[in-house]
Amino acid sequence: MKYRLFGILAVLFFLAWQTLDGMVEGDWGRLEGGLANLSIFFKESMWPPNWSVLEARSYPVCEQDIEFFCSVGYLGMMETLKIAFVSTILGFIGAICLSSLAARNLMPLYISLPVRIFLSGVRSLPSLIWAILFVIVIGFGPLSGVLAMTFYTVGYLGKLQYEVFEGMPSEPLEAGRAMGLSKPSIVANIVIPENGNHLLSQLMFMFEYNVRHGTVIGIVGAGGIGYYISTYLKFLQYDKVFALLLLIFVVVVIIDLLSLMVRSFVNEEGDVRKPTWLNTLLKAKRSKASLVESE
Amino acid sequence: MSDDVVLSLDDLVIGYDKPLVEPISLTVKEGEIIAILGPSGIGKTTLVRTIAGLVRPLAGNFNLNLEKRGGLGYIPQRLGLVRHATVAHNVSIGARAGIRFSKSMFSERKERTYDAIRALGIEDKTTEPVRRLSGGQQRRVATARTLAQRPKLMLADEFLGELDQNNVDIVLGVVNQLVEKGTAVIMVEHHEDNARSFATRIWEINDSSFSDLSLEEWEAQQKGGEEE
Repeated sequence: MKYRLFGILAVLFFLAWQTLDGMVEGDWGRLEGGLANLSIFFKESMWPPNWSVLEARSYPVCEQDIEFFCSVGYLGMMETLKIAFVSTILGFIGAICLSSLAARNLMPLYISLPVRIFLSGVRSLPSLIWAILFVIVIGFGPLSGVLAMTFYTVGYLGKLQYEVFEGMPSEPLEAGRAMGLSKPSIVANIVIPENGNHLLSQLMFMFEYNVRHGTVIGIVGAGGIGYYISTYLKFLQYDKVFALLLLIFVVVVIIDLLSLMVRSFVNEEGDVRKPTWLNTLLKAKRSKASLVESE
Repeated sequence: MSDDVVLSLDDLVIGYDKPLVEPISLTVKEGEIIAILGPSGIGKTTLVRTIAGLVRPLAGNFNLNLEKRGGLGYIPQRLGLVRHATVAHNVSIGARAGIRFSKSMFSERKERTYDAIRALGIEDKTTEPVRRLSGGQQRRVATARTLAQRPKLMLADEFLGELDQNNVDIVLGVVNQLVEKGTAVIMVEHHEDNARSFATRIWEINDSSFSDLSLEEWEAQQKGGEEE
């Protein structure tokens, strides 16, 4: 069995390699010196990061006591976080409504199929394309970003949610149906509480995803830190771009840790040991220690 | 026991692809306690699921003389609890089903929920998620859910299995409270002793034949079988 799996993987790898070779038309020479080019670009243009992006902008005049709150990095990141927050919440609510209509174990085919097709349609456009569409329709600014990310969130979370709903045990649903509960009541009182962990996990994932993608949609003028990245790229100020990328990295890591912390309060692991910041960060070590304690 | 019929089966044929049991015709009145006996895989669960409206009958009809919302309580084999929700939430689902829309529905729902929790002796677990409870405690929660619902017909599938005597006594005590208020109970049961202790009527399924007997008739039949 093990050898068969390796065999299948080897065949798949060979196929992928052949496809790639076909795509570059056998011209692998362009990779030569690629790493050296990257190294030169990084050392000469990006390093060291230019932390002036965390200092107050020269215009408009800063009226805050702490300069950081007037900086491009802070203002851009806050706008991105706000766009991500609003669009995640609106998208989540929209997705819950649509996914409960799309789940085959909750609705008949004549309702679930059209909703699934609608969700596929919404999902098939990347958030960047949604952003371009909304920038065309309502102009530059964060509102276009919010609408673009909300639509994408509905499509993406909708699919994740209806798959989770369809995977839940049938007994609670059957008990609810036999009792005569209405469909909205079954969704609100059985389906959502039973899948709360998954939904929370997806919500946190989507927020993190929207923060990361908020940077991309800013490039087309839909607000957020991406707008500043796009501006610095145009003026070849790669050191400032690098500083902003590091800022995004730090924020994404913090959101990821927060998400881990929040989820560990509601999953079954949390029943055994209520999480602390320490065992969220040092999970493996703590669980080993608890094993020794229990022995 | 009142004479009000809550369930009538009219040449009902149960099964998924092919009939599992001969056509069944009978009526169930308020306050009756029925145990369904028979070997595994013979169609006991399918019969209960058909009455609950979860499986379509292959032929015949069944008529439930009760309100669509909250008239029927169902405890499936694996209880059908919302594992990640608290005990109070699970019990309140029953209360929600059993209460009509009115101004006082919120206070009434709360009252019924906590009354049922107290009746089953699980007050100290009210805010615990159900997944943390033992099998016996989970069965008590499922019973509390039905008690809060106060249905006219209660269906339970292998409900008393795996319970210790203490839990059986508690659960049957509550079932009796419901029966006194006129609820008819149909339980799938594996243990004949349990059936003997609570049932007033036995439905026995054997080799696709169905017999509907009073407890006395069934006990006489058992004795006759043993003597032979």
